[in-house]
Parts: sequence; structure tokens; C-alpha cells
Amino acid sequence: MPMKQSPALRPKPADALVVLAVILLACAMVAAVWGGGRGLTATVSVNGQVTETVDLSRLSDPVVRELSANGYTLHVRLFSGGAEVVDSTCPNQDCVHTGHITQAGQSIVCLPARISVTLSGGAENGVDAVLG
Amino acid sequence: MKRFLAAVFCMALFCSLTGCKSTGESSAEFYAMDTTMNVTAYGTGAKSAVSETQAEVDRLEALLSRTRSDSEVSAINSGAADAPVAVSIETAGLLNAAWSYSHTTNGAFDITIAPVVSAWGFTTDHYQVPTQPALDALLNAVDYTGVLVEGISSSSARVTLRKGQAVDLGGIAKGYASDCVEAILSENGVERAMASLGGNIYVRGTKPDGSAWRVGVQDPDRSGGFVGVLSLSDAFAVTSGGYQRYFEQDGKRYHHIIDPATGYPAESGLTSVTIVADGNKTETPNTPGNGTMCDAFSTAMFVMGEEKAAEFWRSGAYNFQMVLVTEDGRVLVTDGLADKFEQEDGSGYAYETISRTPS
Amino acid sequence: MKLTTKQLTLCAVLTALALALSYVENFLPLSLAVPLPGVKLGLANIVTVFALYALGAGQAFLILIARCTLGALFAGNLNALLFSLFGGLSAMAVMALLSRSKHLSLYGVSIGGAAAHNCGQIAAAMLTLGNTAPLYYLPLLLGVSLFTGALTGFAAGLLFRALEHTSLRKA
Repeated sequence: MPMKQSPALRPKPADALVVLAVILLACAMVAAVWGGGRGLTATVSVNGQVTETVDLSRLSDPVVRELSANGYTLHVRLFSGGAEVVDSTCPNQDCVHTGHITQAGQSIVCLPARISVTLSGGAENGVDAVLG
Repeated sequence: MKRFLAAVFCMALFCSLTGCKSTGESSAEFYAMDTTMNVTAYGTGAKSAVSETQAEVDRLEALLSRTRSDSEVSAINSGAADAPVAVSIETAGLLNAAWSYSHTTNGAFDITIAPVVSAWGFTTDHYQVPTQPALDALLNAVDYTGVLVEGISSSSARVTLRKGQAVDLGGIAKGYASDCVEAILSENGVERAMASLGGNIYVRGTKPDGSAWRVGVQDPDRSGGFVGVLSLSDAFAVTSGGYQRYFEQDGKRYHHIIDPATGYPAESGLTSVTIVADGNKTETPNTPGNGTMCDAFSTAMFVMGEEKAAEFWRSGAYNFQMVLVTEDGRVLVTDGLADKFEQEDGSGYAYETISRTPS
Repeated sequence: MKLTTKQLTLCAVLTALALALSYVENFLPLSLAVPLPGVKLGLANIVTVFALYALGAGQAFLILIARCTLGALFAGNLNALLFSLFGGLSAMAVMALLSRSKHLSLYGVSIGGAAAHNCGQIAAAMLTLGNTAPLYYLPLLLGVSLFTGALTGFAAGLLFRALEHTSLRKA
């Protein structure tokens, strides 16, 4: 039973083309996936219900969202790397004190307003959870 | 006919694969105990485990919340100083655990701190600095030895408090909830999961790809930054830090971890304490375990400060590891945890290991 | 496709060989040297590339399906089937294409196959997780595939050389 084909067993010059193609593909993936944001998503919840989801990796410039609930108003700054509450009318300012959140799993919560902003997604080589 | 049977056999064989373990992921994110919680589980039991978890946390909140008027803790706080208040075995068990944690740390952790915490406004929407006379009066009521729990063995548990006392289980509620979550995951046969209950972490097994769960330890001074990352599997981890909740008045910062001895925010030279312990070996549901312990000790060690905390750890009375972040820029890791702790380059901290024998 | 008994036997032997190679691979964890999830030597591709040249695409395909299905059955893991099928089929498609070129050696074909295998597995991972997070690993995996591809090419070359004087090569 003859072999359908006989492969060349020693490397040939054209093999370098295959190697180059693989390298180029890898570079293309780096540019497409590593450079263009970390795939983070911010989920805004009010009174326990999700009100909006923002794909942070699509933000070229930061945006400031005004969120009002239960008598309090917050300004949340969303940027490609994460989020922070810039100001709030709540008395305790815990949400403002939380500062930046930049990792999936982290969240900023304003208790009196019952508003929370949670991050999810993002590069896998980050962390899976953040201790309180 | 033979071909048909062969095809049927193949189909049956193929279908049998679906009964086998698949890496089915199920997760939920919800709001409870005044914070965000999320649970992710893998495996065939994942879906039911995740929905049971949510229901269980809601149940615990209703049972233990100081701010819910129909909770057992509210019943204790409104009546136990006058006469014994009947409670469930579960609450009694938790109070007993809290009592022993208070005892073993000489009161650095004390659930009777409740009236003082209220005076600072941490249970309401309005933070304030109490006056010294008010604090002195309230400090008289801070004494865990005044909490009496009886009748657990006869299944009719009762709690008594001294006059003026009130209890707050907020310091261990999330830790206890994580113990309950572990039990639910066990019952459902889930072998891989991660739960973050407002920052109280429980990880079960490893991630689906076999690697350990990576848990970040926040840098108290740099929001969004870490001091390091822990690689954990089958473990509880809880962090307490002043940076988590505080207010500023007249240029001074007041945080929420009150020292039961002074009635003021603890000033022990630490900015955060992380306690890590193994997942529970015994799986009796609804009993306090290492999750509860980590929660209690993270508060206690923060109040105790670096030296006393190291001494307590070295005594070996309890099996846990810890990460301390100090005000003078050091990160201290106990030697049992050192090989699981990945330092964060460029964080600006000096890293040290705490070993069993003092240097 | 009608197979002679000899061909059928050869397919069966190759399937068993591929299964054995997949199993042995677990004892040589590449993930210790390269900490990426799912990184492996891909030794089963030796069989795929051999079958491709020796038996043709049709039978190589049969061997691939059989080996993936049995592998998943033995592991008791349905998810593994998805990953190995996506990976194996991608590898085979690319290698079948590349093997037609007279300018490429076994090495070029194997490296192409290894790269395609990783792409297929990442695609399976994206389907399973429902997001594009796995793509972060692809650049590194592709880099690794240059080495694993060369390795499997070398090993397959040994196999071809060894069988040079056997009835496989004779009419």
C-alpha cells in the first residue's frame, strides 16, 4: 500500500514563510487584543437592578455619568481602565473614598443611594478576586 | 440493521458523555448585607449551588442584621438586657463563636462594641465624632463577658445581655455567610468555585484550568493598586482596613474599626490586615468555621497591632496565616503564606516575612 | 469511503497511538515551563500529519474523529471533546492545505498545524466562556507553537524514516 504522498523530511527554505506567517498572526493578535483596552465592562446597578452596562474598552476618552437614586446624586467617571466616583451628595462619601477600581470583581457602592458600579471581564492575567 | 444498531450504539455512547462532568460555569451577582456579592461555581451542581447561595445569604441577612427590626439580633438588642431572649441554635452558635474569638484576643474583637459603633454613626447615614463623656458612658457597656448564651444543648437557646449592652454581628456576618456558602457548595458536589461576599473571599478547589485562584490584596494608600496577589485554593481570606470606611472631620481621618478599649478608631500602626485560613474540613452546615474566624481575626489583629498580632499567630492557638500592611510602609507576610504571595513590584513597600521564631 | 482491511487496521493502530500520545503528554507538562492554560506539546498531531501523508485526508479525518471522541469518553469530559475537535480539525485542515505545496517540508506543515491547533482551541474556549478573553493567550500560544510544531515535525520525520523500508512505502 503506497503512501499517498511523501513529505520532504529536511527543512526547506519556504518553511520560513510559515514561521513568518505565524509570527505575523501573533503580532496582529497582540495589536488587536492587548493594545486595544482590557475588555473591561462596568455594570451599574440601582436598587439591586442592573440599569446599564458600559464596555470600557470602547472608551477612548473618559465619560462622566450622572446617577441619581433614593434622593442622592453621584457622578461616576468611567474610563478605559476602570471607574471612580468623583463626587456624591451622600453624607458618608464612602463611594468617593473607594477611589479608582481597575480590576474585574471590584465595585464601588453608595449605600444611601443604593447605587453600585461593578467591573467584570478584562485581561485574564489580572486577578480573579479582590479582597475587601 | 447492523448499521442502524451501530449508529444507535454510538449515539448512546455519545449521550453518556453529557452525563459526565462538564466545566459548566454558573455565576450570580447580587446585593446583600449592604454590599455587592458574587459567586461563580463550576460543574454539574453549579447552577443549583449558586441559586441556593443567594437565597441563603438573604436568609442570613434577615436573621442577623442589626438594622432589620425583625431579625434575631434586633430582638436580642431590644430585650436581652431585661430578660433572656430565645434565639435559634444557629444564632446561639454564632454568638458562642464570637465570644470565644473575643476571649482569645482579650477583647480586641468584641461584638458588644455595638453602641459605640452607633455613636460614631457607622450604622446610619451620618458619621460623627461622639463627645468624650458620651463615649465614656457607652464604653462601660462594652464587655463581651456580659453576653450569656445558654441552652444550646437542650435546643432552646437563650441570650442574655447586661444592662445597656447591644451586639453587632456585622464584623462576622459575611465570614459566617462564607462558611454557609462552602457548605452549600459541598452539598451540591461543586469542586471548583469562587465567592466574594463584599470582599470576604472563599475559593474552592482550583480554577477550571487547574491553576490557583489569584486574589488581590489592596494597597490601602493607592486606590486601584495592590500590595500583592495571593494564589489560593480551598481557602478563606478576609481583609480589614481603615481605608475601607472612614470619614474626615477637621482634617483628621476617622475609620470604622473601633478599638473596644478606647472607643476610638484603632491606631495600631496597621493600615490593613488580611487573614487566610484553609477551607473547613468538617462540613456541618450552619456552624461557624474558618470563614467566621478570618472575619473576626482580621478585625482583632488590626486592633492589636503588629507585635501582638505576630505573637498571637506564633502561639499557634489557631491555624491561620496573615498579611499585615503597616503605616511605615512595610508588608509583613507570615512564613506559611510567603510562597503563595506574589509581591507587587513598584508598590513602594518593603516586604518582610514573619517567621515562627521571633528574630 | 471504502477501506480495505489493511487500511482499517492501520487506522485503528494510528488511533490507538494518537490516544496513547495524548495520555503520555500529560506526564510532560509544558505548563511548568510556559505558564499558559491549555499549553501542551500536541504529540497527537504526529499521528495526524503521518496519516495525512500516508493515508490521505479522508482517513486522517476518520482517525481524528475517532481519537477525539474516544479521548473525551475516557476522560469523562464532554468539554474536552469540543476543544480537541476544534483544535484537531483546524490543524488537519491547515496541514492538508500546506502539504499540497512542494515548497514546504514536514516542518513547515507541522508548525502550521500546531499554530492552527492553538487557534482552534482558543476558538473553543471563546465559545465555552462566551467572551473574547481567551484571545489574550493566543499570541503567546502561537509563539510556543513554533517550537511544538517543529518538535512534532521532527518526531513525525523519524516515523517516516523508520517506515521507509516497510510495505507502507511499497506498492
